[in-house]
Amino acid sequence: MKEEVLFEISSLSRNSLKVKGFRFGREGTTPSCVIVGPMMGTAIDQLWIASQLVRFLRQHELANAAFVKGEILVIPTVNPYSFNMGKNFWPLDNTDIDVMFPGYDKGETTQRIAARLFEKTNNYDYAILLEARKDHVECIPYVEVLESGMSYIEDARAFGLDFIHVKEEMPNDTVSLTYNWNVWNAKAFSLISGKKGILHKHEANKVFDAIVRFLVKKELIDFSTFEGSHGNLVMPNDVEAIKSSAAGLFDTLANIGDSVVHGQPLARIFNALDGTLIQTIISPCDGIISCRYDYSLIFQNAIAYRIVKVESAQNTL
Amino acid sequence: MIEEVFNVNLPVNETLTLRRNRFSPEDISTSTKRISIVTGIHGDEIEGQYVCYLLAKWLNNNKHCIKGIVDIYPSMNPMGIDSITRGFPFYDVDLNRNFPGNTSDFMPAQVANAIVDTVRGSDFAIDIHASNIFLRELPQVRISRSTADELIPLAEKLDIEFIWVHDAVTVLESTFAHAMNSLGTKTLVVEMGVGMRITKEYGQSLTKGILNLLAHVGIIERAVLPTTKTTVSNLHSEVFFVNASKSGIFIPILEHNVTVLKGEKLGEIIDPLSGRIQETLISPCNGLLFTIREYPVVYEGSLLARILEDPKEDTAL
Repeated sequence: MKEEVLFEISSLSRNSLKVKGFRFGREGTTPSCVIVGPMMGTAIDQLWIASQLVRFLRQHELANAAFVKGEILVIPTVNPYSFNMGKNFWPLDNTDIDVMFPGYDKGETTQRIAARLFEKTNNYDYAILLEARKDHVECIPYVEVLESGMSYIEDARAFGLDFIHVKEEMPNDTVSLTYNWNVWNAKAFSLISGKKGILHKHEANKVFDAIVRFLVKKELIDFSTFEGSHGNLVMPNDVEAIKSSAAGLFDTLANIGDSVVHGQPLARIFNALDGTLIQTIISPCDGIISCRYDYSLIFQNAIAYRIVKVESAQNTL
Repeated sequence: MIEEVFNVNLPVNETLTLRRNRFSPEDISTSTKRISIVTGIHGDEIEGQYVCYLLAKWLNNNKHCIKGIVDIYPSMNPMGIDSITRGFPFYDVDLNRNFPGNTSDFMPAQVANAIVDTVRGSDFAIDIHASNIFLRELPQVRISRSTADELIPLAEKLDIEFIWVHDAVTVLESTFAHAMNSLGTKTLVVEMGVGMRITKEYGQSLTKGILNLLAHVGIIERAVLPTTKTTVSNLHSEVFFVNASKSGIFIPILEHNVTVLKGEKLGEIIDPLSGRIQETLISPCNGLLFTIREYPVVYEGSLLARILEDPKEDTAL
């Protein structure tokens, strides 16, 4: 293992921001894979996954020098400053690094961070980004592939996760890291899981296992692992968004990953002052809960649940 | 007439309401022109509040002049405005990167969708911004190159100092202005002043400009005033960006809105701990200093100034 400072940004009063990479195998060999940890400073699950991956690869490489067969670069996080303050985005101006790609080395600070990160990560066969969702939800682990990555969707099955979500591309996506990796011919995947601000080891370890499985199947490491799921393909219309019709205290009755049936109560909303039950949220379909609103106070019309509809099980590649 | 155009209940005994003040003539037909004046999409930008006040005051006092519909929307992000929060509070996202919005998405996207729905059908719209808390801007209209032919003649009616025609950027397709221009509403974006402050002179000047535009397009009956400012644009010259290459405290030397010469000192980045000058910033061209940094703490990459190159340089060559 080679530990490197990939780039630094100086600060007026704090220690310099150092973005570290951990390189395994031989640089420049194939197959190659880069794994980038969170850009948001509240994505604790993703930091856990990346750091445990460094530990796993380091221990096995120490025991067997031929353990890594190609090249693997793990960058546990791009944004230590925000982690150390409990902030989502860049501490000074609250800009999101993941809307700055491919970056601009003569531009604003977060554009420069993006440019430097992109320069260090844009020439790998496989590129994996560890992400928490930016909205207020908790979700099951899934692989996300942008529509422009449909040509290599079969590769997403190597993770063995239950769901592969094909994301419709919006204007904002064109400045994301995965989109730009894709443009540079990497097979790019986002692994999304958990909720911000807290470590869910159970969910995080599923993602860790998925990455190890992917590395095995793509012949990047010499290791044995159990088979995962076949991977259900989920298109944008296969997900039912269920909104609250009332606002108040949110009492959830169903968890992420639960199978639910049409008519099943999912949550109750109570008036926050007098305790009256004002809504019972009912599942409008059969399916599996992929995401759940993660805060105990809920707005009217907020997305309370997302359910992958059972009818999407008929999707084929 | 003050109308509520969107309501959503918040968890604890409050409703989030978007309001507009509509001024209209007694007789309305399908040919009656309509303009929407929108501001407060970014909660830390207050300059537009004063313009809305002055405009509403004038219209209240001159009802006999109103021949078309003027809709004034002072606060499109009410919780943001009331808490000095740039983005949409709780969700921590930029509302102006979520247009045209979607009723099936999270709350900021639903609010964006509601704004588009209510402004839809206007012949014209003006979206007033105030830069951010970091930069002070000369009043300017920003127009995408793809809509320049159509919008520059309209922008010139505002009698504003500067029209900045910028390249089409995909990410800007998620802004209010892009969404409305796509729907056939000719929409101008005004940037002026600085975040969290009101520059009375700019507000008064823009209000006069808006009244001038309203007279030109027949929404108010009033003599069209001769323009008093020389509007410049970057159609025949370049905009130069000056970014910090060191972190520290930026101390400007020049005032905002002055002509600078190539090689002239713009400011310094200093280090309070060592008592040393970290960097001296020099103008890269002759031109108009239309943006200057207001907030002193800078990182490498922080934008310090923008200069509109003097077109005379080209002719001299």
